[in-house]
Formats: sequence, structure tokens, C-alpha cells
Amino acid sequence: MNTVIVERPGTGNLVSRFFYGFKSLLIGMRLTFKYLSHPSTVVTQQYPENRKSLKLADRVRAQLKFEIDGEGYHKCTACHICEQQCPNASIHVIERKPSATGKPELDTFIWRLDSCTFCNLCVMVCPYQVLKMDATFESSVYDQKLLAYNLSPYAGPTSGVLMKIEDPEARKKMIEPRGQYAGPTALSGYPLAGISKKQFPETTHQGGHL
Amino acid sequence: MVNMELIPKVTSLDERLGAMAAHDDSPLATQEYFVNMGPQHPSTHGVLRLVLKLDGETVREVIPVLGYIHRGMEKKAETVGYRQQVHLTDRLDYLCSVMNNWVVSATIEKAAKIELNDRIQVVRTIFAELQRLQSHLLWWGVFGMDLGAFTPFLYGFRDREKITKIFEETIGARLTMNYIQPGGMMYDLHPTFQAEVKSLLLYMKPMFKEYDELVTGNIIIQERLRNVGCLDAKSAIALGTSGPVLRASGVPHDLRKSKPYGVYDKVNFRVPIGSVGDCWDRYAVRMLEMRESVSIIEQLIDNIPEGKHLTVKPGAKIRPPAGVYFEQMETARGIFGVLMNSDGSEKPTRVNYRTPNFHNLWCLTKIAPGGKIGDLVSIISSLDVVVPDIDR
Amino acid sequence: MSVSSFSRNIVSHLDSSPGTSAALFVSGLVGTLAFMSLMALILIYVERKVAAHFQCRLGPMRVGWHGILQSVADALKLILKEDIVPFSADKLMHATAPVFAVVAMLLTLIAIPLSSSLTLADSNIGVLYISAVSGLGVLGILLGGWSSNNKWSLIGAMRAGAQIISYELSATLSVLVIIMLSGSLKLSTIIQSQANGWWIWRAPGVGLIAFITFIISSTAEINRTPFDLAEGESELTAGFHTEYSGMRFAFFFLAEYLNLFVVSALGATLFLGGWMPLHIGDQQGLFSGFNQVMDLIPEFVWFMLKTASLIFLSMWFRWTFPRLRVDQLMKLEWKILMPIGFLNLVLAALMTFFGFFFFATGRGF
Repeated sequence: MNTVIVERPGTGNLVSRFFYGFKSLLIGMRLTFKYLSHPSTVVTQQYPENRKSLKLADRVRAQLKFEIDGEGYHKCTACHICEQQCPNASIHVIERKPSATGKPELDTFIWRLDSCTFCNLCVMVCPYQVLKMDATFESSVYDQKLLAYNLSPYAGPTSGVLMKIEDPEARKKMIEPRGQYAGPTALSGYPLAGISKKQFPETTHQGGHL
Repeated sequence: MVNMELIPKVTSLDERLGAMAAHDDSPLATQEYFVNMGPQHPSTHGVLRLVLKLDGETVREVIPVLGYIHRGMEKKAETVGYRQQVHLTDRLDYLCSVMNNWVVSATIEKAAKIELNDRIQVVRTIFAELQRLQSHLLWWGVFGMDLGAFTPFLYGFRDREKITKIFEETIGARLTMNYIQPGGMMYDLHPTFQAEVKSLLLYMKPMFKEYDELVTGNIIIQERLRNVGCLDAKSAIALGTSGPVLRASGVPHDLRKSKPYGVYDKVNFRVPIGSVGDCWDRYAVRMLEMRESVSIIEQLIDNIPEGKHLTVKPGAKIRPPAGVYFEQMETARGIFGVLMNSDGSEKPTRVNYRTPNFHNLWCLTKIAPGGKIGDLVSIISSLDVVVPDIDR
Repeated sequence: MSVSSFSRNIVSHLDSSPGTSAALFVSGLVGTLAFMSLMALILIYVERKVAAHFQCRLGPMRVGWHGILQSVADALKLILKEDIVPFSADKLMHATAPVFAVVAMLLTLIAIPLSSSLTLADSNIGVLYISAVSGLGVLGILLGGWSSNNKWSLIGAMRAGAQIISYELSATLSVLVIIMLSGSLKLSTIIQSQANGWWIWRAPGVGLIAFITFIISSTAEINRTPFDLAEGESELTAGFHTEYSGMRFAFFFLAEYLNLFVVSALGATLFLGGWMPLHIGDQQGLFSGFNQVMDLIPEFVWFMLKTASLIFLSMWFRWTFPRLRVDQLMKLEWKILMPIGFLNLVLAALMTFFGFFFFATGRGF
């Protein structure tokens, strides 16, 4: 094995160590003075004031979002694959019953920020690349209920199905707008205290809880 | 053969607290007292509780009390499945997140017989060495801070930020990466990766000299670390230490050389070994390891082969055949091993993480007694203990 | 109209009746308290800014322009904070410990001459008085550590007690050198004796060694890194003042920073000439023109500049060096600094006797 023995600190009599010590202290002081006297070496940023110029990497995982195209439609088919892959049941996919087209449709896509670990598995497995993580990191709120997001702006079929319909008014009839999710939802698979399981919307979540 | 006398005997905490030192009745006898270096403390590197038996300033006994950050990760791995447990290992030794992911992924690949290509191996090695460098930089900063010099902390973090930024661009996360998945990596390399890493390497080389000027050559640091907490080679092996702690005691053991994984058998690097096993040796071994990491990355960064970054589909089911699979690798703190018990289904029946910090911590009970409280802090810092790894 | 001529004006117009003495006393008290508060606020802000710039960051930037009002905000916070006293603490001692620390510091502060006319208590045993009174500070630390009923505080207090008592010896030895060279204990005489040059360079070698010893000992006296194991932040959380909050902690905090000021001021007075401008030789010598130029800068400004540079030196030490272990600290004092101090004292005695320093009166070096 290609090894190297590390050096030991110098040994010597008291006098030589004394002078070495003095010199080493001065060398350390010179280094810190170098940073003091060159204000250009400051590396910190003044955070709230520099929001406009703050640029995070595009792969930063801070918030889960849907890919919404120009018309406001998404491609989610409510296939539940992301829900199954999520390790701790932070995603609940609620299907629309009855669906407008007869095939499964998405009603609400509940994503819990307070239990998500940002492992990115949901993004990786989605077969239609509906989900993405973006860099919105300022998501603190004063009420925990606000941390259960609904990522889908409407309940209805995917953009592929909708764009086949020529008439915009007919398209609007097939979808129902959805806003922020306000109902009860389970945290890590366990129902919230005091709310019976019957009140929960049906989910097909399988993995991630005891 | 393991010398059983070198391993501390296991007694319950109550027994040990109850057996307070009997003091003799002479008029000058001093009394030993118990102090709690409690779970919240500026320098126990996490929620580690140490019950100290002190005689004035001298430490007579150290009793670590664990469990303050136990989260049941091994049990959780049984319920979440193979692929989903990888991101939990990020949170074990959070400073070696990429390396932990690699070990678990390698175990799963071994179990499910997943093939990899060269690009994956090279990129994994580069990321592991970057993570080692980043972890050692944080250790260096915190080491200075524990000894009372507050400035190295800031310098270490300033330099570490450059590596974190590289991670952020490619992986998307700064601390809990979940990057290395069974079958490859989550994302392919960012287009700016190579240029950034090369500029980082150019930046780091003069920085090592600065670290030496500020901390390594400082007489106060040298006198505080010399001959403090000596751990001889036999005790180190008997206690199960690994990593820089073991190497500082003079034992030439490095998994990257003895059981190479990734592309470690194709790069040239030296393994720093200590001679005495005191805090200074542990410090110097890590400083040299940083330089060796830089040299490994330098050798690899220009020769990344082309290929796919993930050889299995992200949602593919992993159903390894029934059996027991084990894989171990050298993280920045020691040997991290994963043992998986599979019965052919989609979730393992038992997962055991052999974490380096768990075994490194127990050296403390052997080497801290006899020193002062200040020595205790130096020893904990030089052992580079990250507590979530101990409790899992 | 400089500060010194202003105060000289006032003083010369007063006669010494009891009313005037009382007025002088009260104005002195108010002036000292005001000076002390202002100095503490400034020093805390400067420490934070200097620390930040050593560490490649900016420090307080929000409260006021570049954080100037940060100290005011801190002071307000400490005043309004709840005063938590541990349940089983010794209440009387817990309350009086910070008082001791502040009083010790105040008593030393009044003896330092800020300029030739701004001196509150220029007694003819000035240096002896300062040495004696600064010992009260140890009492504050020991009481604070003991009364908190906390083993960690007690460890910190015991360490501090041992440390301060040991280093007083070295500090006194280095001060003795200057007393011998200048021939008096009275601070204003010591300053006057530096009219031909400051003792740090005027006594070749001996002055510098005494200065370095004084710097090291006084850093240990005021519990600053590299000797801050009494409040070792990474070992004992906050040492003897762990259990203090609110105004009591504010007193300890105040005492610490003003101790820094006092010790730097003392060092400036003894070794760097106090308010005496930099003169090389006397008014008739080679450098008389240079001396006259130096005289143009007011004395108070000289004093503050010297003190500020010593304060900066202390901060530089704090943010560069790690701390010493307690046995190494004792070893440094008893085995290294004290022998050097004694040797220095003997050399200084010889130097004084034979007059072997620059610009000794009667000899034309």
C-alpha cells in the first residue's frame, strides 16, 4: 500500500520551541490581517436585500410543482406511480369521480411540504414528466394546514386529451378549477387525530407507512 | 483474535452512576463528581450526552449515553423498500451523504445483479472524493472552533461552499443528496461540472498552505494536541475503529486500497498513517487525506468516459433473490457497511447499517480518562464524531 | 478649542468650596458613567465588526447604517430581558457578583489619565492603586461561578480565579520595570517622564520585553482568548456567567469590554506614553521640529489612538489563536513568563542605575 507517515510537530528544547512558537503566532496573525485588510474577500451576501439578483441552480429541490403549459393544462393521468414511490406518503393523488372522459382523471394532487424529504423519486419516476422541483425556498407559513399543497390547478383530463377538443368553451366544461387544498389529509399515512378514516378521500397509497 | 480486555465492559447506566468513587477519609481527599456534558452542548457535534466523572479538572471516566436522535432507520428501511431507503441514509452521517448512498446502492446492485458502466463508476468516485474533501473541510473548521480559534470555522465553510455549489448545480441539494441510486446516478453531470471542479482544485491547493499557517503550524494547537488521547494500534483494532482514527494509530488499513470499489484501483494516491495515535496524528492524517482527495479528483476529472447515467429505469421494481448481501466502503469517517437480508420481495426483511461513528465513539471511553476537560473536547473533535450516525 | 483646554478652563474658574467639590464629584461621576457606557457600546460594535472582517464576512449591517446602532439594540434587549435566577442559587451572591466586576473596573477607570487635564483621580500611588483594585474583579467571577449552583460555572470560576491571580504577578513585574525607569508610582509623572520618548523603545530591549509580557498577562487578566477558558465557549457554554441573563449578564458583559479598555489604556499609559505625543529626544535636540509637529495633535486624540491600537491588537489575538488548556496556561505563567519577568526586572534595574537608555537626563545619547 502506498502509505506516508504524517509529520509530527517539532520537538526541541524550550528555547527553540519558544522562538518557533512566537514566529508561528505572528504568521497566523499575518494571515488573518490579510483578510481584514482586503474587504474584497468578504463572501457573505445580504440576503433579503439581494433577492432580485439571487440565482439558484436550476436543479435545486425546494418545492414540488406541476409542469403547466401555456394553456394552463397539465399531463397528469392520475397513475399513482409517484404516490407509490414516495417513501413517506407525502403525495396523495385523488381521482375525479365521476370522470368526464370515462378514463381516470386527476381531481386533486396533494403534496405535503411538511413531510416531504425532497428525495426526488417522484420526479424521476413520473412517466409523463409532470412533476418538477424548483427553487422556491421561501415557503414558511404560520399555519401547518397551509403546507398541504394542491399542485393541480384544475380537475380534469390531461392537456393531450383537452387539446383534441377544438372549442375552448367545451374544454372549459370538462374541467373544474381547483385552488389550495383545504381538507383533511393524512400525515405519513396516519389519519389526523380526531378525524375518522371515513372522512378521507380514497387513495391507493401503498408504500411508506407502518 | 480480539483481546477482550481492551473492549469496555457493558454495564447499565444506573450501575455506573451509582458506583460513585469512594473517597478516603483523609483531610486532603477530594471528591469526584459527575457532570453532564449534556445533549445540548456547543461541542459534542450533535445530540450526544456524555456523563463525565471528574476529579477537579481531570476526567476519570466517560460514559456516553446514546439514543437522543434514534429514528429507527433500519426498521424504516424494511417498510419503505429498496430504492426509498437510499435517501434515508443521507441522514445518517449527513456529511458523507453521497458515500452513504453509494454503499446502499452498491448493496442493492450486488443483490439484484444490476450492471453498471464505466461512466457511473468514475462519476461516483469523483463525487465520493469531493464529499470527502467537503466533510474534512467542515471537520477542520469545527475543530478549530472547538479548540477556541473561531476563524478557521469561517474559512473552512467559505472553501466548503465552493464544493457545495458544485453539488447544488449537479444534484440539486446541498446536504441530503440522494444522488447515487441503484443503477447509477439521479442526474447526469451538469455541463459546467468539469470546469467548476478544475477551478476548485486550482483554488484549494494554496488554501492548504493557509490552513497550515493558521492552524497546523500554530504552537498552541501543537501543544494542545501532542500526546493527547493516545490510542495504540491494538486497542484501535479491538474497539473496531476505522477510517482516519484507525490509520492515525498506525494501522495501514484503507478499504479503498484493500478492497477497491469504484475506480480506486486505477488511481494513484497515498494513504496517510500516523505513528503515535494521539490527536495530532488524527488531525494530520485528515489534512493529508484532503490533499490526496484533491489529487484523486485531478486524475479523474479529465477522463470521464461517456455513457448513460442510469442503467435501470427509475421506476423499475427491484426484487433481489433471497439471500444476505453485504457491502462496505470507506467514508470520510470510517467503514460504512450495509447488510441486507432479502426474501425475494420488494422490501428487505432486515437491513443493518454498520456505521463508523458508532465504533469510533467508544474509543473515548478508553482514551479520555486521565486527561483534562480541555483534552476531552480535543479528543471528541479529533475523532470527528457525527452523532446521527451513532443512533441511526 | 480642544477638550483639554476646555476642561482646564472650567477647573481654573472654580475655587475649592464644599459646594464646588460636590459639584465636581457629581460631574466626575456622571462623566465617568457616560464615558463608560459610550465606550462599552462602541467597543462591542467594533469587536463585532473587526471579528467579522477577520472572518471574511460583514458583521452587523441592518440596525442603522452598517449596523452602528446594533449596540443600542443589544443594550435595550438586555435591559428588557427577563432576569432568570436559578432556583437553588445563592440569591445574594448571585446578585452581587456582577456588581463586583463592574465596580472593580470602574475604580480602575477613574485612575487613568485621559489627557493632562482630564484626570479624575491622579493619586501619587496610582499604579499600586490600580493593581490593588483590579483584584476585586476576581471576586466577581468567583462569586458568580459559585452562586450559580452549576458545576460547569464552578469549573469556569475556579479556573478563572487561578488564572487571574497567577497572571497578576507577571503583569506587576512588567509594570515594575516602568516604575523603576520613570521613578514614580504616580501616573501623570510616568507620562511626563516619557516626554523624551516612550518607554517601549526608549529602554532598549527591556521596554519591549516588558511590553510583550504586559500584553500577554493583561490578556489573561481580562479572560480573553487565548486565555478565555473561564468562559470557554466551546467547553463550558459560558463558564461562570452561564446562569446570568438580562441586566446581570449585561453587567458582566460591560465589565469584560471595559476591562479591555482599561487594560489597553494602562498599557498605553505605561509603555506608549499615555497622552504624551511621540517625541524623540527633548525640545532642543535633533528632532525638535518633529516634536513640535507631533505636539499639534491634541493629547486626547493621542491617548485614544494608542488605546485603540492596543484594543485592536487584543481583538486580533482573539480571532486568530485557539485557547490554551488550563495546565498549559499555568505553565506559561509560572515557568516562562515569571522567570522572564524577573530577569527583565534585574536588567531594568541595572539600566536605571547606569542610565543606559536613550535620552536619559544628563546623558546625550
